[in-house]
Amino acid sequence: MKMTANEWLTIALAKGRILPPTLDLLEAAGIDCSVLREKTRKLIFSDNRNKMRFVLAKPTDIPTYVEYGAADLGVVGKDVLLEEEKELYELLDLKLGACRLSVAGKKGGGSFTGGYVATKYPRVAKRYFQQQGKQCEVIKLHGSVELAPLLKLADVIVDLVSTGRTLAENNLVEREIIARITARLVANPGSYQVKGKRIAALVEALSRALAGKEVQS
Amino acid sequence: MNEKLQRLLIPEGVRDLLPDTARQKRKLGALIQDIFSRWGYREVSTPAFEYSDSFTAGMKAELRDNVFRFFDEYGKTLVLRPDYTLPLARVAAMHFANAPKPLRLCYGGEIFRYNAGEQGKQRETTQAGVELIGDDSACSDAEIIALAVEVFLASGLEDFVLCLGHIGFLDTLLAAHGLGPDEAARIKLLFSKKDFVALQEEVKRMKISEEAGRSILQVPHLRGGAEVFAAARELLPPGRGTAMLAALQSVWEVLEDYGADSYVTLDLGLVRMLDYYTGMVFEGYTSGFGYPLCGGGRYDRLFVNFGPDMPAVGFAINIDHLLAVLQRQQKLPPAEELSYLAYGKGGRAAAIAAALKQRARGINAVVATAEAAFSQAEQEAAGLGACRLFYYTGDGALEKELRGGENDGK
Repeated sequence: MKMTANEWLTIALAKGRILPPTLDLLEAAGIDCSVLREKTRKLIFSDNRNKMRFVLAKPTDIPTYVEYGAADLGVVGKDVLLEEEKELYELLDLKLGACRLSVAGKKGGGSFTGGYVATKYPRVAKRYFQQQGKQCEVIKLHGSVELAPLLKLADVIVDLVSTGRTLAENNLVEREIIARITARLVANPGSYQVKGKRIAALVEALSRALAGKEVQS
Repeated sequence: MNEKLQRLLIPEGVRDLLPDTARQKRKLGALIQDIFSRWGYREVSTPAFEYSDSFTAGMKAELRDNVFRFFDEYGKTLVLRPDYTLPLARVAAMHFANAPKPLRLCYGGEIFRYNAGEQGKQRETTQAGVELIGDDSACSDAEIIALAVEVFLASGLEDFVLCLGHIGFLDTLLAAHGLGPDEAARIKLLFSKKDFVALQEEVKRMKISEEAGRSILQVPHLRGGAEVFAAARELLPPGRGTAMLAALQSVWEVLEDYGADSYVTLDLGLVRMLDYYTGMVFEGYTSGFGYPLCGGGRYDRLFVNFGPDMPAVGFAINIDHLLAVLQRQQKLPPAEELSYLAYGKGGRAAAIAAALKQRARGINAVVATAEAAFSQAEQEAAGLGACRLFYYTGDGALEKELRGGENDGK
């Protein structure tokens, strides 16, 4: 395999809830993330010694960064990947942030045969109900999707469910699981080929760290 | 919307190329065709639309759903060329059936697909490619790959890799472990997307032996140089796929003769989702660009759709992608220098004569369309981005170098 001068590796990481466990995992895999632990408002962190660059981004933007090559790799939830439909390589399940992408409706409501669906994931919802032969009108919301059935804006919602507490508090129940969600390591296809060795080594180290975690738990 | 603005819109997925991009694209295309010629490939041109029947044979469902279709005056279905390999196979079967083999043909032009699923979702893309027809040797396979390497090197592209696989490797492995066609198709689809997470889940879900599962999940690791052959042989049950791997290894050896092996990475999990490939397949990538710059492979059973069966191998370069990457790597030729020839009273004849002389020497030259004072001519020259101004009057001539000379095409 040809080695090139361009052996910097840029990884886009999702800001927010998923970041601390991601850093823990990267460190367990022997990747120095100390630059990322500093309290700053910076969004790009460079580790000159290991030729590694980290970019912090909004989760929904990560597939775009990786698709256009602004980052070689990204760590992002499967929910975002399902919605964004980019042609990225999905290299590894990082088993972080486990939850479900589900259909939920009002407690006691009849089964959903079609109608209005409120969601942050319009493409996933459309595709899912289309495959089931159900006609539906998808309403895109940006947050507090649970409100929609209560305000009669929608019959059901498609949203992430982890413990189900938010649903229960809003008198909603989980009806169907569309997909099980965890964070994934994704790669830009060009980077995957050209920086093959480095990326393969990283995947290997992460797999070992994951296996170690499983043994512990 | 304002009616005039409405008229300025163009459909989704197509675009205008402005100076200098249009010129750079044409030059890139010409450079590639020159290299093809030097390797003995002869250019052919095929119609932009043909009968749908010529295309549907050998076309994968995904492509079939993505072609532009319309009707002629007799109600026959026509398609706008979605691919060049099929028309080239038709041309070879029609016009070169009895020509000595191997036959080397090349082409360049536009192809059209709905939602090509590519960057910016372009529906019109420009391709250049070759087909080597009537020969099934490792030499032919390697020639095509080495030619791709030469094109990338000549274009100035940095940081590229050609990954090389063989469609028969996964087929052999999956068949050896008793996977049916449907299961094999599912696995191959996941390999084509390199969705290794879903692959792992699929393998777990399938009722196959643990050993089979382990072997399949080992395939993504079969990447690298010549050392991959030994690992690949180990993964296949004894006696299976021996000829296929030996053939691929021969291709590698010829690539070494070409000195092209350092640009090639073996990737035995490489699957290209066009139905017609039967042997080696390859794709070209550069870092940070998410789409193949080129792709190709061997298709030994496509010609049977048009006439006597013939082995063939070929590849196509996506010129739009290559251009985008070269632009990003700043490898495209800069704007050409331009002279502006202006004149005052009595100077027109001299200006025109000088312009003709300069053009004959290969210098780009623009002649003013009206008499102007020198200061006015200076402004016009700057507006054009000219780097030299020549000014003529009945009394004599004046020459001035202009700063910048940057023609930004705006």
